[in-house]
Amino acid sequence: MSDSVTASATQSRDMTVRTRALVLLIVAMLGASVPLWTGSMPFVLILASQAVIAAIVALSLDLLMGSTGLLSFGHAAWYGFGAYLTGLAAKYLTPEMLVVLPLTLVATIVLSAIIGFVLVRQIGKTFAILTLALGQIMFALVFVMSGVTGGEDGLQGIPVPTAFGLPIVRPDVWYWLLYGVLLAAVAVAFHIRRSPLGKAWLAIRENTERARFIGLDTGSLKLLSYVVSATLAALAGGLFSLFNGAASPDLLNWFESGKVLMYVVLGGVGTIIGPVIGAAVFTITEHYVSSITNSWLIYFGGFFVIIVIVAPGGLFGAASSIWSWITASRRGAAS
Amino acid sequence: MLAASLALNGLVMGSVLLLFSLGLTLIYGVGRIVNFAHGAFFSLGAMAGIWLANSGMPFWAALLLAPLGVGLLGVLLDWAVFARIRDRPMVDSLLLTFGLALLITGVLYELGGRNVQILAIPPALQGVVAIGAIKLPLYRVFLSLLAIVLTGALLLFLKNSDWGLRVRAANDDPEMGACLGIDRENLMHSVVGVSAALAAVSGVVGAPIFTAYAAVGDKILILAFMTVILGGLGSLRGAIVAAYVVGLITVFGEGYFGGQLALMLLFVLVMAMLINWPRGFFGEGRTE
Repeated sequence: MSDSVTASATQSRDMTVRTRALVLLIVAMLGASVPLWTGSMPFVLILASQAVIAAIVALSLDLLMGSTGLLSFGHAAWYGFGAYLTGLAAKYLTPEMLVVLPLTLVATIVLSAIIGFVLVRQIGKTFAILTLALGQIMFALVFVMSGVTGGEDGLQGIPVPTAFGLPIVRPDVWYWLLYGVLLAAVAVAFHIRRSPLGKAWLAIRENTERARFIGLDTGSLKLLSYVVSATLAALAGGLFSLFNGAASPDLLNWFESGKVLMYVVLGGVGTIIGPVIGAAVFTITEHYVSSITNSWLIYFGGFFVIIVIVAPGGLFGAASSIWSWITASRRGAAS
Repeated sequence: MLAASLALNGLVMGSVLLLFSLGLTLIYGVGRIVNFAHGAFFSLGAMAGIWLANSGMPFWAALLLAPLGVGLLGVLLDWAVFARIRDRPMVDSLLLTFGLALLITGVLYELGGRNVQILAIPPALQGVVAIGAIKLPLYRVFLSLLAIVLTGALLLFLKNSDWGLRVRAANDDPEMGACLGIDRENLMHSVVGVSAALAAVSGVVGAPIFTAYAAVGDKILILAFMTVILGGLGSLRGAIVAAYVVGLITVFGEGYFGGQLALMLLFVLVMAMLINWPRGFFGEGRTE
């Protein structure tokens, strides 16, 4: 009897895995088809591209928050760092994307490893506070180096980037490029989640002390997660400044960090796909709401508070718990 | 000469920071909440000072009424909002206060916080005090003395009153405190109220120097965070020493390198210190 129970359990798990994969595939196809039906509305395509960039940033924060449970209140620091560094490299060095982006990534890896080395030793609240401070420091850095970064006016005049020498101008090509990066990042995130590394990260999130007792090197694992997360955020920032042709200090504002955090909380921490959808939904909503009212911050803050109180698992979490409740009651009715 | 004047101004800055970060330490000690909305309370206090002054009230009345109002708002917020997440994981309290900070800042923007305004110094406090060759505005002396007196009063109150006993008990061990019959709900209401009022006092008295606008509390919040980390999270005497250290570093940094670079210098120093002393100056900060 117990055999048949396990058999049916595996079977139903296979089913849900298969349905989930199918749903993911359909969503991915829908996302890819955006440029096909927005031909007459170029602005929608630009908005969609921004949503994709936001989704990459959200994913990068989820890699940190959802995996190791470290809460970063200054993720815009890395996003903005990537944006400025890529923009500067493109402006003064070469507009070749395949040179400037790897350059940014290497620089981010080095810098985030140095800063992360101190940060990840701090537990919980101290880490959160220091990340917030880091965000402010990066913000200050833009003004300290205003001769190079343009200070208040932002970094202007980033040239049109090229890939293999070919300039990337068409908005639909841009969209597919960004979307391809997002899909690749999601695939890698899912792969990591299932790998031993992902399991070790989850162990740290659940109970760092026990993870250390079973022989995991929690310090290095946390650092790795921080560096991976910072690097992906910097990549998103770099893509943004190339796409946008400019970078402004607003990218480093703590409000920006709050937005990234909101994407992740809204979508559900640690669900990988949730923050991605949360970012897309949020970016598009923000655009339309802020065109109606300019007290956007009030709605944003209020919504944030309500989400944390009412649905700490995020909308995605709430939806999946409703879903499992429905399937459970249906299964209960069948037997 | 410059150094001596900077040192005095550093002490002034340290006093404001002290007053401001005491509230942060109190809320953390009793409720284990790192209050990201503390800077918003500062801005709210500064803005309230402006509103009251514009409606014709004297400085002294504003100094009394603004903290009272913000303190009551703090009690209300604790009862209506913080109480909902009392037993949730630490992450939720961080997110909640962060959202609250954005909300309050947003409201302040709508209520005239987009423009930078300066609260007028009352006539009685205008003038300059000369200590030897060094001149310091009288208002700054008043500001430091007020901060020191309020801090001293709070510490005495914590040490000698029944309320202080409860706060210290809850600070040391919340569960044991609850077992001994301390009503955590009411205690938290009062602690959040007092802490918000302290932030508002520093906002009002700071308004003639730091000006008043919706996001004026952001910078001081970062400085206060550096303070509580240097002193050790939840350590009162650590916070006192750290407030003056941070104040001096900030003012000297601003004097010699400019404001933004001073902030970076401070951050690097704090990071360097955390490598060896993660629990702050007296080694009594919490790391849970």
